[in-house]
Amino acid sequence: MNEKKIIELKNVAKSYDGEIILDHINLDVHEKEFMTLLGPSGCGKTTTLRIIAGFVTPDTGDVVFDGVRINDIPAYKRHVNTVFQKYALFPHLNVYENIAFALRLNKVSEEEIFERVTEMLAMVNLRGFEKRDVNLLSGGQQQRVAIARALINKPKVLLLDEPLGALDLKLRKDMQNELKNIQRKTGITFIYVTHDQEEALSMSDTVVVMADGKIQQIGTPTDIYNEPENAFVADFIGESNIIDGIMLDDYKAKFSGHEFVCLDKGFEKNERVDVVVRPEDVDVVPPEKGMLTGVVTSVTFKGVHYEIIVNINNFKWMIQSTDYVEPNQKIGIYIEPDAIHIMKRSEYSGQFGDYSSFSDELDKLSDVTEEEE
Amino acid sequence: MKKSKIFGNIYTVLAFIFLYMPIAVLVIFSFNASDSTGNITGFSLKWYGELFSDAATLNALKNTLILAILSSIIATVIGTMASYGINKMQNKHIKSATMSVTKIPMINPEIVVGISMMLLFVFVGGIVGSQSSLGFGTVLIAHITFNLPYVILSVLPKFKQMDKSLPEAAQDLGCTPLQSFFKVELPAILPGVVSGLIMAFTLSLDDFVISYFTIGSGFETLPIRIYSMTKKRVTPDMYALSTLIFVSILVLLLISNLTSDKSREKMSKKAKKITKIVVGSLFGVIAAVTIVVFIVSASTETLTLNVYNWGEYISDGGEDTLDVNQKFEEYYEDWYFKKYNKRVKVNVNYTTYASNEDLYAKIKSGAADYDIIVPSDYMVERLKSEGLLQTIDLSKIPNYENISEQFRNPYYDNGKEKYSVMYTYGIVGIVYNKDKINDDDLAKIEAGEAGWELLWDEDYKGQILQFNNARDAFGVAMYSLGIDVNNATDAEWQKAYERLKEQKPLVQSYVMDEIFNKMEGGEAALAAYYAGDCLSMIERAAEAGVNLGFYYPKTNGKYVTNIFADAMCIPKSATNVELAHAYINYMLSEEPAVANAEYLYYGSPNKLVVNNGDYIDYLGDDYGVIYQEEFESQLDYMFETYAYRSLPDEKLKLQNNLWETLKVGSDSFDSGIYVICGVIAAVLIGFGVYCYIIKRKRRRLYWNTQKEASKK
Amino acid sequence: MTKKSFMQKAAAAPHVVWAVLFIIAPLIFVVYYAFTDKDGAFTFSNITELMQASYLEIFLRSLCFAFLATVICLIIAYPIAYFMAKAKPKTQKILIMLVMLPQWLNFLIRTYSWMALLEDTGIINSILGVFGIDPIHMINTSGAVILGMVYNYLPYMIIPLHSVISKIDPKLLEAAADLGCSPLKVITKVVLPLSVSGIISGVTMVFVPSISTFYISQKLGGGNFDLIGDTIERQFQTAYNYNLGAAMSFVLMLIIIVSMAIMNRYSGEDDGGVIV
Repeated sequence: MNEKKIIELKNVAKSYDGEIILDHINLDVHEKEFMTLLGPSGCGKTTTLRIIAGFVTPDTGDVVFDGVRINDIPAYKRHVNTVFQKYALFPHLNVYENIAFALRLNKVSEEEIFERVTEMLAMVNLRGFEKRDVNLLSGGQQQRVAIARALINKPKVLLLDEPLGALDLKLRKDMQNELKNIQRKTGITFIYVTHDQEEALSMSDTVVVMADGKIQQIGTPTDIYNEPENAFVADFIGESNIIDGIMLDDYKAKFSGHEFVCLDKGFEKNERVDVVVRPEDVDVVPPEKGMLTGVVTSVTFKGVHYEIIVNINNFKWMIQSTDYVEPNQKIGIYIEPDAIHIMKRSEYSGQFGDYSSFSDELDKLSDVTEEEE
Repeated sequence: MKKSKIFGNIYTVLAFIFLYMPIAVLVIFSFNASDSTGNITGFSLKWYGELFSDAATLNALKNTLILAILSSIIATVIGTMASYGINKMQNKHIKSATMSVTKIPMINPEIVVGISMMLLFVFVGGIVGSQSSLGFGTVLIAHITFNLPYVILSVLPKFKQMDKSLPEAAQDLGCTPLQSFFKVELPAILPGVVSGLIMAFTLSLDDFVISYFTIGSGFETLPIRIYSMTKKRVTPDMYALSTLIFVSILVLLLISNLTSDKSREKMSKKAKKITKIVVGSLFGVIAAVTIVVFIVSASTETLTLNVYNWGEYISDGGEDTLDVNQKFEEYYEDWYFKKYNKRVKVNVNYTTYASNEDLYAKIKSGAADYDIIVPSDYMVERLKSEGLLQTIDLSKIPNYENISEQFRNPYYDNGKEKYSVMYTYGIVGIVYNKDKINDDDLAKIEAGEAGWELLWDEDYKGQILQFNNARDAFGVAMYSLGIDVNNATDAEWQKAYERLKEQKPLVQSYVMDEIFNKMEGGEAALAAYYAGDCLSMIERAAEAGVNLGFYYPKTNGKYVTNIFADAMCIPKSATNVELAHAYINYMLSEEPAVANAEYLYYGSPNKLVVNNGDYIDYLGDDYGVIYQEEFESQLDYMFETYAYRSLPDEKLKLQNNLWETLKVGSDSFDSGIYVICGVIAAVLIGFGVYCYIIKRKRRRLYWNTQKEASKK
Repeated sequence: MTKKSFMQKAAAAPHVVWAVLFIIAPLIFVVYYAFTDKDGAFTFSNITELMQASYLEIFLRSLCFAFLATVICLIIAYPIAYFMAKAKPKTQKILIMLVMLPQWLNFLIRTYSWMALLEDTGIINSILGVFGIDPIHMINTSGAVILGMVYNYLPYMIIPLHSVISKIDPKLLEAAADLGCSPLKVITKVVLPLSVSGIISGVTMVFVPSISTFYISQKLGGGNFDLIGDTIERQFQTAYNYNLGAAMSFVLMLIIIVSMAIMNRYSGEDDGGVIV
């Protein structure tokens, strides 16, 4: 990754009708980076993108592009292009003309247009589709046209606003790989907006987790997953059991009435903390061998593993295990020290990480509402 | 960003000013104390008062509403059924054919729809031999016809959108097909039906062109009334009515707009249901009442007399005059009650035309059944010779003795059997604007030496008005050339045509009743017109501060001009002959005859009028102008020499052809317009060609490069 | 099943009968009258009569006036429709209402009130007089006739344009800006080509009534600019020559069909969207 900053957001804030959308955020984007803005709907990620593109003017703060402040430069003069959520292809133009659109504006010669469009079509695997009507293409094909159209001007930065949101799961996976490849091949900086954490983790160099108009954490996918900075991040990225705990000393935490050895340090003595334990890091053992014991309330088969909800001291844990257990069975659990992650308490403490009201269906429902955004 | 917004706002405001300027004019003049659009004299509500006493306008309003309600309801019923059927049609070709035919009245120009239906009705009427092929029925059919496509186009999509399994579900639950239609399908398409109904209603309310061609004698809608008014003078109570209509629609739309968004959401379901029921039943009640009124008024003993007269050719009750038609209704109702001891309602349907030729076209086509018409001399002769008039039974007209002897045997009707009773007579003269005529000509007029030549004077280019009917226009030309109007040879007709053609560049416009507005408004300098009308113009113009004068044109010191008589006749196709006779008789009695004479400023053949002291006082100096001794002494000679006679067919045809050629051909070839038109068309075509060339270039390049690429 | 399909057929039957009797039959009569003489014998003389220079001039004039009125309507209406589509939904609703509102008043009386505005001693000239400007001759000119057409049919251009423009996805405009279109280019390269269907229906809705109008030119043109509609009306209401009138109507229909066909052909072809 290049160290040169291509885009800097400095203290950028935006509000509509008194509602704060972006709360003084700072963000640096480096050249050739694949950066993902991740967060639930309404977190401000799309607004951030639109501020970079030039469709939204921030109330305060600076947008710096390549060292130059560009707050007052209109969208059409910025060297940034966008792939829109529902592609926004021009319905009156065919595939060829859609992709050639930007070149025609710059009065590029026909020969060069042909060359570059052909090149682009090859890159997005759409050769032979030149004369097609864009309205008759499938979602995936439209997506490719949109990417080709945005890339033809060789922008320094490509902005992608939930580009895969409208595709089905299988196609989404393929496109993820393809996008990653294109990014590597072209070396263009991608700023990618999504609410899908899996997508974010698998594609990005850097993930920016946002919530409530603030940046919660910036880091590599592994950092974000393994070292979430607060309960929100821990819960939003993957499944997490988040338990109230007390840091007794360095490397020594107490929660659920039991003392655990962990790898974290640097907290005050007896500081209240949030403890994160990922479901897959919990081992099921017979009750007598367990660090904690509880009663199984439900077991769901998930294909690779079972999802087990265990009631331990009135806190419902989620455990993913390949071993089957019976509901109402009493079991013990065992947690390795490196599976325990201690976080400072934050405004999100206590809001997440309890599976007492958990249900698959609810989870899916909330997914759907997010997509409809 | 902001700049474009400001520009947009300014632009939109300007556009709305453009759209509302004429409406503002209407509203302002509805409150104007004066009845002229020339000057504003002060605020007054009198026209709103006049409106509610203007029976004819209110009747037209009622007719318009009846027509709109009936036609929209029938069209909605037929259209909804049709949409149901069309939606279910299996055969695509039949379906699309039906739809294309349905849309014809929408796409076809209104005038073509109107005349095509008129041709159908007249033709069928001719075959059936009915006396009047046009009437309420035909205009209703026409309205339903042009309403249908709008209903179908708003209902059909609702059927298409409806879930196909909806009726199946209903029938699955035990509905019969009919029940399922009313319980399930109808509610689903109701919004479409309602909007179709409303659309049909408003279209019918506003229609003029199609009604104009398909309407009969006994029925006048508001737009038709406005039309005949705009030919002469729109009385400000029409402005008042328009203002009222405008304001009430504005209020209705505002209410529906404001309630639609928020309050409708807030409204509870119950309240919604109630409003629905209220609105629905309101419309239902209105419809029912009008239908009942219509049926009742059709079934109770009502005697209707269809009178077809010249525009503003009767004392109509405006401005403290006598409403002759209304007086007649009362008089006859009383008389009938006294005689038969039975109540009856008399209804005079008074409609107007602007020229003898208009009248002839209406009568000849057999399109309408008038009971009384008032053609001029030569037209009486023509109608009589074509057998379109019936003899008048003088025994039923005791007042005939009021007609002075010299008018009892006019040249056009001097047989034993009488076909006409003279209504008025008059002479054509020239009305002029004193402020627009130069001093030399004024002096000439004062000295009584002016003739027709002023109408050909280059000094008054664009200020001259000419008759907009062939007979009078050619008459003016022939009198000015000294040609005998009744025995002109083909060559002389040609000469007269040349004379008119010579005049055309000087003519501001060809007018009939429009002349009133133009002269009174000071828009024109000179015009030949009927003396009576000229005198009433002078009177009214003086009120508005326009100084008009009048003279009879002289040639070689002698009056050479048209004298004419208009006479009441009963057409063959009249349906109420008895009442027609009573009407003629009444018109000859003193009170209405004097009222008419005072209103019209025409010469009256009625002895009781000419010797009436009030009348003589009322006319003052004008009495001398109307009953000029020089004419009075030689009326017989004048009628003999200068009145129009019915022309033989070939001459009539020649006259019409020459007239058509004159009207159609324009010397004022407005080249500017054509140049602009051509330039725009050229630009458009050029642009099209440019696009085409670019596209072809691109395409060729595309294929070439592709070929090369594939070679590689 | 048979009962059901019978019912369905029966539902459309009144309309079909009605359409045959009162839509198709009258048009047949137009053709019949156009090709017969007064005695009902077949003839071409009505059509050949229309080939005279004077009638040709009427056709040309009508075509020109209607064409100009349509172009002017388009030029005036497009920005209005565009600005309306940009307004808030609630404002849009009110603006549409305001555009349609004048149509509720009879067009005769609105045209008549233009006379009062345009006359030599009319309102506009009186107002100009207050500012010391010499009166401008407006009434009885071809400009006044075209103005009357533009005024009466402008709403029919605004409404379809607005409905098409307001349906354009705002994302497309952003996409165009994103790809380097200046605000003006956004309009010429995206908005304009996407509103072609609205332009076509607007042009149709203005052109057809303009070319066939018969009242406007009588009032605002002072009878000096006879149009097709005036001539047809005269044949039916005054000259009593139904055959010639029917022939003119027939030709008028042909002109309209041909104009529409030309327009649809050349606007429909533009699939590549080469609007510069």
